[in-house]
Amino acid sequence: MSKSSSIKKLKKQENFIGYLFASPWITGLILLGIFPILMSLFISFTNYNMISDPKFIGFENYRILFTNDNLFWQSLGNTVYHVIIAVPLGIVVGLSLAFLLNNKIKGMGIYRTLFYLPNVVSVVAMSLLWLWLYQPNFGLINQLLKPLYDLLKMEPITWYLDPKLSKLTLILMGLWTAGGSMVIYLAQMQDIPVSLYEAAEMDGAGWFKKATLITLPLMTPSIFFNFIMGLIGSFQVFTMAYIMTSGGPSRSTYYYAYYLFDKMMADKAMGMASAMAWILLFIVLIITILALRLNKYVFYLGDET
Amino acid sequence: MVKSEVYKSKKRRQLIVHIILHIVLVLCSLVFVFPFLWMLFTALKTPAELLRGIQQFFPTVPQWQNFVKAITSIPFFMYLKNSLIVVILVVIGTTFSATTAAYAFARLNWKGRDKWFVIMLATMMLPIQVILIPTYILYSKIGWLGTRLPLIVPAFFGGGAAFYIFLLRQFFKGIPKELSESAIIDGANHWQIFIKIMLPLSKPAIVTVALFTFMGSWNDYFGPLIFLSNPDHWTLALGLRAFQTQYGGQYNLMMAASILIMMPTLILFFLAQRTFIEGIKFTGIKG
Repeated sequence: MSKSSSIKKLKKQENFIGYLFASPWITGLILLGIFPILMSLFISFTNYNMISDPKFIGFENYRILFTNDNLFWQSLGNTVYHVIIAVPLGIVVGLSLAFLLNNKIKGMGIYRTLFYLPNVVSVVAMSLLWLWLYQPNFGLINQLLKPLYDLLKMEPITWYLDPKLSKLTLILMGLWTAGGSMVIYLAQMQDIPVSLYEAAEMDGAGWFKKATLITLPLMTPSIFFNFIMGLIGSFQVFTMAYIMTSGGPSRSTYYYAYYLFDKMMADKAMGMASAMAWILLFIVLIITILALRLNKYVFYLGDET
Repeated sequence: MVKSEVYKSKKRRQLIVHIILHIVLVLCSLVFVFPFLWMLFTALKTPAELLRGIQQFFPTVPQWQNFVKAITSIPFFMYLKNSLIVVILVVIGTTFSATTAAYAFARLNWKGRDKWFVIMLATMMLPIQVILIPTYILYSKIGWLGTRLPLIVPAFFGGGAAFYIFLLRQFFKGIPKELSESAIIDGANHWQIFIKIMLPLSKPAIVTVALFTFMGSWNDYFGPLIFLSNPDHWTLALGLRAFQTQYGGQYNLMMAASILIMMPTLILFFLAQRTFIEGIKFTGIKG
């Protein structure tokens, strides 16, 4: 009797201590997370410029965005274009690099470090560097391509100054940081038991068969992880465009997050900006849910034992 | 005899494959590393040399004074001080709030723990704009706009720490329970266990968290852009942007300034690359 009550007391105490330890984070989550999310939903139904009081206008912000705002659709289109190319391309490049490094070769650690290096640089410094590399007249890239231009008798590509190529220019630059996801892929690759490959070799499987039938299926968890994270990041692409192109030329790199930023900071149209944020949240949420359905094709090693 | 022939040819084939592999890897490394070197060469050139492109591969005479020019043409040391104030406090705050929360998740039984954990994982997927606008309004109401507080205070309350809490929780779970249990028998409370047992044993994980936080905060552009309206509080990332709008065409100075700003993160990365790569692997695979 007294023993069980003292255990109860201990449990109660642990409950309290648990909340105590988690309290800084929980306080932050409520005040700087959950509360703002609900607030932003409310604000999205109002007209609010931070000077006069918010005025409730129902779905008006959403209606204007969807039916009467070309820039909304243009910026969304730009962003979708960016996401559709950048995310798969990032996965392919990251995986290829991991495949290259996943051989028993000398200096693997050094290569891995070098491939990863661009990831520690700030986006601002990286954008300035690539602005110079892409510079149409004296930049390194066009200088290196000059023989090719001469051979094909074509005008040099103007990269970020060409509305048709500006998004691709930013996407290619983004691949410079593919070493980040590569590290994750590589780690998972090296966790695959050697015995699986040996068994396949006994059955006469070559490099290609081993890669497609063993490595790739067992890599699906990290591919899935990088896909989701890449998706969320790419939908919020902003800084590169802000620094390199200011959204131009002809608004070809005016991304969704850029338009949202302008609505918020330049126009102080907080209701409209909140509506845009919620639309973005919905888009990301729906794609994530769809992707999670694909999760049943994700193979977790160890599940099958 | 025949067998050794087969073995030999197999060995030779392997050697050729390795040589090709190394060539491909060196070429890849060039793509990743050469931009850095080109940056340095550019920073050391004269304006006239810039116009000659790759005909002028190296600077004839390294123009080290470009670095001095870059520093003196902006209030560099003020930006540096501002960056350090924000970064150091954010590192302290994040480490504090992430370790305490991780201990609660890893070692304590409290009601709703697992629900809170799921909520934490969900926050990693939120586009920050959803939170940004109301917090911006909130900070303006309480007079924090134009101060550094919006960048610093959230760190002490687990702002942006979900990944780190997750990483530390996994690490804490790996520490044998017997250690803390015997400490309890000796009369220690949870705070003492946390401070004297868990933290010292988790040094590698804590260093990883501190490093990532440092890099993230040092490189952050979006947060300062939104919240630091007062130029006296600008961080280096904002200062670099200001430099660009002012000296946009002078790529040698711009590259010199960029190099100075990426130096701390590059040096830290080289000093702690093992910790770093292990940390990324950890969040990536287990996440």
